[in-house]
Amino acid sequence: MLNNFSHNNIFFVISKLISFINSIFFPILLISLTFAIVLSPPDYLQGDTVRIMYVHVPSAWVGLACYSVMFLLSVCSFIFKIKNFSIINKSIAPIGLTFTCLAIVTGSLWGRPTWGTWLAWDARLISMLVLMFFYLLYILINKFISDDSFSNKVSSIVIIIGSINIPIIRYSVDWWNTLHQGSSIKIDGTILIDKSMLVPLLLMLLVFLLYSALIFLMKYKTEIIKVKKKNINRL
Amino acid sequence: MISEIITMNGYGLYVWLSFGITFLICAIIFFYTKKTLKKYERELATEINKLPSETRIKVLEKSKLINQILVSQKKII
Repeated sequence: MLNNFSHNNIFFVISKLISFINSIFFPILLISLTFAIVLSPPDYLQGDTVRIMYVHVPSAWVGLACYSVMFLLSVCSFIFKIKNFSIINKSIAPIGLTFTCLAIVTGSLWGRPTWGTWLAWDARLISMLVLMFFYLLYILINKFISDDSFSNKVSSIVIIIGSINIPIIRYSVDWWNTLHQGSSIKIDGTILIDKSMLVPLLLMLLVFLLYSALIFLMKYKTEIIKVKKKNINRL
Repeated sequence: MISEIITMNGYGLYVWLSFGITFLICAIIFFYTKKTLKKYERELATEINKLPSETRIKVLEKSKLINQILVSQKKII
C-alpha cells in the first residue's frame, strides 16, 4: 500500500496545500503575536521576560517533534526499504535544525535576565546542543556522501543512535538538579500554566507548525524534483 | 501602553531580540527554500526542453510529475 504513495499522485496535493497554508498563515500569525505580546500578562516572578517563552518553547517542541518523526521514519525505512521515507527525512532535517538552534538562542536570551548568564553547563541545554549536532551530522552525511543508498543507510543509523538523546532532553529537568525550570505541560495531561499564557503558547505552536509544514512541503517538492532530474534518462 | 510594549519594563532588548531573531531566521529560510525550489523546477524544465522531441514526448507520457512541473513553469514565465 505504501508503495502506491507515488510522487505523481501527491505532487498536485502538495501545491494545493502550500496555497492553503499561505492563505491562512498571516492572519493566524497576527492573532498569535497580539496574544503573545499585548494580551498575555507578565509573569509574577519573571515579569515581561516570560514572553520569550512564546518563541522558545514552541521552537524546542518542533525541534524535538521533527527528530522523533525522523527516528520513526528511519526505523521504518530500515524495515520496509521505502525510499520515500529518506526523502521525507531529508526535507524535515533542516526544519528540525533551525528550530533547535532557535530554541538554544532564545533560551540563552531568556537565561541572561532570569539566571544572570547566557549559557550554563545545564543538562537540558547540553542535551539540546547534542540534538543540534545530530541534526548537523545527518545533513552533512547526506550532503557529502554521493552514493544515495549508502548515505541513506548511514544517516538513518545516525538518527537511530541520536534518538537516545530524546528521552534525556525530555526528562533532564526531572532527573538532574538543573537551572532550567521543570515542565509546565506534562505528557500525562497535567498543565501547570494559566490559561492566559497557555492560549498564546498554543497559538504560537500552531504558527510554528504551519510554518514547518510549509517549509517541509517546499523542501519535499525540491527533493522529488532532484530525484526526477537524476533519473530523467531512465524514463 | 505602546511605550510599555516597546520597553517591556526594561526587558525589551531580550524579548524583542528573541522574537526578531526567530522571525528573521524563519523569513530567510522561507525565501531560500522557495528560491531553491524554483531553481530546480527551472533546471528540470530546461533539461526536458533540451531533449530530442521524440524522447521528450516519451518522458512526458511516462511522468505526470514532469508534466505538472512544466505547467507550473509556464505559469511562472
